Amino acid sequence: MEPARPGPADRPLAIDGLTIDYGERRAVADLSFEVRPGEIYGLLGSNGAGKSSTIKSVVGLVRPVAGSVRVFGIDAVHEGLAAKARTGYVPETSLLYEALTPREFLEFVAGVRHLDPATASDRARAYATAFRLDAEFEEPIVSLSNGTRQKVLLIAAFLHAPRLLVLDEPLNGLDPRSVRIVKDLLQRFVRQEGRGVLFSTHTMEVAQELCHRVGILDRGRLQGEGTVEELRRRVESGDASLEEIFLRLTREDEGLSDTVASLGEP
Amino acid sequence: MGWRAAIRLADVAFEELSFQAVYAFRQGNVLPTTSARSLVPRARRRVTQSKFLVSAVLGLLAIGAAALLHRVPSTVTGFFAAPLPGGLLDAGVITALLALDVAFLWWTGLQVLPTLMASAVVPVLEPLPIDAVTLRRAVAIVYLRLFDVPVVTVLVVTPVAIGLSLGAAAGLAVVPGVLSAVVFSLALSLITGRFFVHRIQGARGGGGRAWVRWGYLLLWLVPSFAIFGFLTAATQFFNALSILAAGGPSLVRSLLYNAYPVPFGLLTGLAARGTASAGLVPRETVALGLAVTGYLVLTAWAALWVFREVRELGHIPPRPLVEGPSTGFRLRPRSSPLAVLVKDLRIASRTPGYAFLILLPILDAVALGLITVADAPGPSAAIGLALGAVTAAALLATFFGPAFFAIEVLAFSYGRTLPLSDRAIVLGKVGLMALVYLIASGVVLLLALVRVFDPLLFAGFILAELPAIAAAGSLELGWLFRTARRRGFPVANLYSGAWAAIVVAIPGLLIAGAPLLLFHFLGLGGMAALAVAELAACAPIALGGRSG
Repeated sequence: MEPARPGPADRPLAIDGLTIDYGERRAVADLSFEVRPGEIYGLLGSNGAGKSSTIKSVVGLVRPVAGSVRVFGIDAVHEGLAAKARTGYVPETSLLYEALTPREFLEFVAGVRHLDPATASDRARAYATAFRLDAEFEEPIVSLSNGTRQKVLLIAAFLHAPRLLVLDEPLNGLDPRSVRIVKDLLQRFVRQEGRGVLFSTHTMEVAQELCHRVGILDRGRLQGEGTVEELRRRVESGDASLEEIFLRLTREDEGLSDTVASLGEP
Repeated sequence: MGWRAAIRLADVAFEELSFQAVYAFRQGNVLPTTSARSLVPRARRRVTQSKFLVSAVLGLLAIGAAALLHRVPSTVTGFFAAPLPGGLLDAGVITALLALDVAFLWWTGLQVLPTLMASAVVPVLEPLPIDAVTLRRAVAIVYLRLFDVPVVTVLVVTPVAIGLSLGAAAGLAVVPGVLSAVVFSLALSLITGRFFVHRIQGARGGGGRAWVRWGYLLLWLVPSFAIFGFLTAATQFFNALSILAAGGPSLVRSLLYNAYPVPFGLLTGLAARGTASAGLVPRETVALGLAVTGYLVLTAWAALWVFREVRELGHIPPRPLVEGPSTGFRLRPRSSPLAVLVKDLRIASRTPGYAFLILLPILDAVALGLITVADAPGPSAAIGLALGAVTAAALLATFFGPAFFAIEVLAFSYGRTLPLSDRAIVLGKVGLMALVYLIASGVVLLLALVRVFDPLLFAGFILAELPAIAAAGSLELGWLFRTARRRGFPVANLYSGAWAAIVVAIPGLLIAGAPLLLFHFLGLGGMAALAVAELAACAPIALGGRSG
């Protein structure tokens, strides 16, 4: 018997008919998918496929021209504050308040998210220690490396114990130890009741290792969705890697060998 | 590669700089959902508009100074403490004009340099196979283009206006002064930019270091404020000039006559009316010649220095981590509006352009408060001066208030993903405006009490005006927020939001000014009643938006 489908208020993220335009250019067209409780959902796509636009619509940075985005049943477009309160977000590029130190930045985020001092301090200490951020905690963010900025963003995303994590290339710039920590954290995160993760990446190995289901975007449209096994069945290849599945579904494997050959010797 | 290649590179870099100045994507803004093709031309148009706005102010200053000097008699009597020779009056006005040119161009530099650094146009060029000389030339051209229209305005309008007013000789004589003002302002912008990178932007946080940073910023702003203060104390300056002229040669007179930019003012005055018109003795004329020559040599050296050093501006030098006393991981979260206020204060403590807006009303209040203590002939005059100083603090805080909104450009896109309402942001910034006003007024109060011990009157006046400041801030910032949301770009800086900030500052100034005017007719009660009524009318504008 199929398990009962979660109600709208239990679904971490439900996107229905999402359409996003930049002037005359359509970035996302009639996109629908959902992130279920306990699930890490990977959003895959080539450059310009519409992943970041989709993610930005979830966190209130882009207003769609059609469709709906619901975070635990809350309309993220019209009730943005309530949806954002339940969401932790790591952007694709680490654009932060560069004049602040990590401590000052996290203090600001904790204030906006109404955390009490003890909880905020305990969580900041735990994550900063895990990511070995001690030495940089009082340094202005402008002077930190990209990887360290990414760690600050990850701590900010986890600080308020959100129920939905929206992560746009969260492993960018991280050292191997921190990558391992983030992967483990995400797996533990979704084991807690009712939580979900929307995870965008270009790295197929990471998606294959981490995500319960993936959605493959191409030119703003969903070309395939499901577990890796389901997608293998769809492309009729029992042992295909996610990379091969991706290239076949987006038809980017067509003429690929010729393209590489035409480049000559590098 | 030669100059042509450098100009071509600079064209590309400046286009990117304009784009970043307006849309600030590298500082964290998000792409608006309008046609991306329209963004670049729009950014170019906005930067040009803002340059012309700055230029219009500089042009009007030159024309105003020239108009003031038209048909001045050979000796001016009755206005100052002693009769003032016409040549000295010319010199004083030209000195003030040059000082203002330096201040205004420098201030422009302070506003746009952080954008130049944040836009990263220089580091983008660095890895390309471009030789060091071409790269330096390209960066120097980009730097000059930040100031191009304003600089051309100063260089052309000032000599023409002075020439038309005082004669061709005076018009020619003012050219070296104008040239030096332009070069010095470019050099000062660069020096302060480097100072900013080394001492302020990269400074560690925590452990009371914010106070040290504010101290640095204060030190840095003092020269800039000295020029502003010069205008505030213009009457005192001309009085001093008239007394020194009447008293004959002295050490103080020599020091004043040779302090920059007075020699260039005197040179113009002498060119307009002859060497006897300023009452200089031959020794002083020789010293004047030496001073002008010295400042021109310094100008040439400064121009070369700017050209040589400007390339460094694009870089934040790597600073080794220094183990210092740590405050641990203790976080002190605050309510949303307060979190915004504290965040803005912290950003301002590492961003001179914003620090300037906070410190200027306070420094102005200190200057006017000191004048109250030192200059007022009696208690009623002291009260008038002190209340005038509070009025100045109120109007300056109101005028600069809209610029606080510009801080929101930083990490604009990240900030918008937090559950932070427009209301909380506006309230935080109105709180900052009110804080600046209260600190500035508090300084005046403390200094004024030395002359007239009437704490109730002063405190009553300051508090009665406070709701009007909050009302003006609510109107200005609420309006700006709606404009920014509608247009999809943050009101980032002088080059992207000058028009919007000035337009909203006008009703803001009227709102803040109305109770101050009413005080003279109805006293404190009427003033407070109007201020509260204004707040009741304007608060819905600030408190109306919850969207995040």
